[in-house]
Amino acid sequence: MGTVHAKAERESDKDAVGSGIFEFEEPDAFEEPVAKPSIKLNGVRARVDRVHVDGLSRTKDDIIKSTIDELFHATDFEDVILRAHKVRRALDSMGCFRDIGVYIDVSSGPGATPEGLEVTFQVKELSRIVGGINTTVSENEGNLVLGVKLPNVLGRGERVAAEYSVGHRSSSNFNVSATKPYPHSTLTPVLSATVYQQNHEYPWSGYKLLDRGLLLDVAFKTSPVTKHNLQWEGVVRDTAVLSKTTSFKVRESSGPQMKSVIRHIVTVDHRDEPIFPTRGSWVQFSSELAGLGGGVANVRTELQAQTNRELAPGCVVQVSGALGVLHDMYGTDIPDHFYLGGPATLRGFRQRGVGPHADQQALGGTVYWASGLHLYTPLPFQPGKGGLGELFRSHLFLNAGCLAHPEEAGLAAAEALTEARVSCGAGVALRLGRAARVELNYCVPLRARAHDVPAPGLQLGVAAHLL
Amino acid sequence: MPEVSLKDTIITSLNAQEPWPENVKLFQPYEVEQILLPDNASCLAVQAFLKMCNLPFEVEMRWNAEFMSPSGRVPFIKCGAFVVSELEPIVQFAANKNVSLCARLSTEERAEMRAYMSLITNVLVNAELYISWVDQDTFNAVTRVRNSSVYPWPLGWLQTRSKRASVIKRLKALHWHDKTLDQVLADVEQCCNSLSQRLGDRDYFFGTPTELDALVFGHVFTIITTRLPCRKLADTVRRHDTLVALAKRIDEQYFKRP
Repeated sequence: MGTVHAKAERESDKDAVGSGIFEFEEPDAFEEPVAKPSIKLNGVRARVDRVHVDGLSRTKDDIIKSTIDELFHATDFEDVILRAHKVRRALDSMGCFRDIGVYIDVSSGPGATPEGLEVTFQVKELSRIVGGINTTVSENEGNLVLGVKLPNVLGRGERVAAEYSVGHRSSSNFNVSATKPYPHSTLTPVLSATVYQQNHEYPWSGYKLLDRGLLLDVAFKTSPVTKHNLQWEGVVRDTAVLSKTTSFKVRESSGPQMKSVIRHIVTVDHRDEPIFPTRGSWVQFSSELAGLGGGVANVRTELQAQTNRELAPGCVVQVSGALGVLHDMYGTDIPDHFYLGGPATLRGFRQRGVGPHADQQALGGTVYWASGLHLYTPLPFQPGKGGLGELFRSHLFLNAGCLAHPEEAGLAAAEALTEARVSCGAGVALRLGRAARVELNYCVPLRARAHDVPAPGLQLGVAAHLL
Repeated sequence: MPEVSLKDTIITSLNAQEPWPENVKLFQPYEVEQILLPDNASCLAVQAFLKMCNLPFEVEMRWNAEFMSPSGRVPFIKCGAFVVSELEPIVQFAANKNVSLCARLSTEERAEMRAYMSLITNVLVNAELYISWVDQDTFNAVTRVRNSSVYPWPLGWLQTRSKRASVIKRLKALHWHDKTLDQVLADVEQCCNSLSQRLGDRDYFFGTPTELDALVFGHVFTIITTRLPCRKLADTVRRHDTLVALAKRIDEQYFKRP
């Protein structure tokens, strides 16, 4: 029996250092093993005698041992390869290593069994400290971002990451987070704590926020597709108006406020891809309870869902929807409200352009629903097929939604929510890595209400999640 | 810090020439549990000025009046679409609407009035800030409690800390922070002396009420009526009978509750 060189080609995890933003789709060669015509791998009996992991220095042995343990349960050669790949992935997802190579050889030396194999993982640990510097441009500010990461600090996949950004308008943001994964406990929980300061400007509503807070998060999985996040967030937010002409309604909500929030987010993801999926559905339900301490008390729930179906190869229909309800106990103000409109939600309207406004400034609402119907196809004439062209899709869309503040308008919630806004259009979408996408659309608002700010014509949007 | 753009200023001065509207509101912090000595003095001064001008307004108290104000200081008035804060801009704003108390004053008298007004801002306001934020007894017993009364814990503590730091920064820049309490009181004494000398035995500084009278009233009345652990400031001011009499006169004439 010769040596099978299982070469690892897949780009490491998306948050690993150095992965490009325009990352190409790579087929998972090992998911469905391609049986060589001559040899039937699952007919070859095999057992793993030894596993070597080369290149470990500060990673602790116990965590590696428990990761590779399942290799010893393999019974035939195909099984060995599959399990070796699975282990490779598990090692990769620990976020401690840069290159992982897998070598399988017949075992030799004392204690070798006739069908015995030796599996060697060659790993390179990430350096103790990884830094980065880059620039970003947001709505109306250029930023310089400095980042430092300490991967695998204590040898069991713990991470500390810090990011600091300064804008040319002297706003500074930072966040420091510490993460501790428990990959081998039941539910594979990941604990993290983040301290942050963030500046945000909302010119559509005429205010800016300075948030300083602490976020504690427990993420765990109850099934391979079901992810939960339990969070507590304590935040001091400083609301300030943007200019002297800001609407008085917005001005009234300025000043510092403290908020303490408990949040639960559950996500069920059956899709094959987060961006441009071709099949499967996705549901996210988040519920928030604010008011255990602090000056803001409310209950806020939001449901988002999406389902995809491939009609013909490359031609996908997507139906998505979202709805949210905010119930105010006390202190709930403009920054807590829901907003709708803009290229990521209801296309064909200005950012936050739907719902109650005062002096052209969005005030937000306490209930909303929104939905979208998309038809995705490859670019016309399929330029760059199989290569660059795979990053693009053209789409036709139809959006509908409504945002209301029934308490203020003196209407029943159900009545307020019947005032639907509708828009449609077509455009091109571009995938940015596995996390976000850019859309350039031509939009036609079909139905708008008084106070709405429609934005017909071309609209550009960048977001991680688009309706 | 709030930004004031040139565009805003131009719009304000272009549109400000309409007559005084009916529903003008004056925003200030809560009088009973929140407001501090320096803020109270300036709120009272603005109220007195508006009453002297016979301009109708309503007082509205908000916990976040300070943050709603475009300059970050109280009080401010909302007049139609405009928000104007502090006494001098409000005087200017009223003058744009042809309401002025010093129209018949000569140029010299106006300059003199300005000088006295800036004397008050430089001495009395700083003395009030000193007493409220630097004097340990007053800070612990009054300022800390009142300033944090509208916030939940621990935000109140954070806010009080940062506000104290900014007041101390201001006082340091003006070289007031290194003064002892006695030096501060000596300055106040001197300021009151020159004010009462100018007032003499007249009813008002310039015969009829002006914004200077409103400002003096705001500060003197607040200082002599506010109970603080440190009584020396009130005692210093109270020794000037003519100023106290002026304050009482304005209180009776304009603030007499029916």
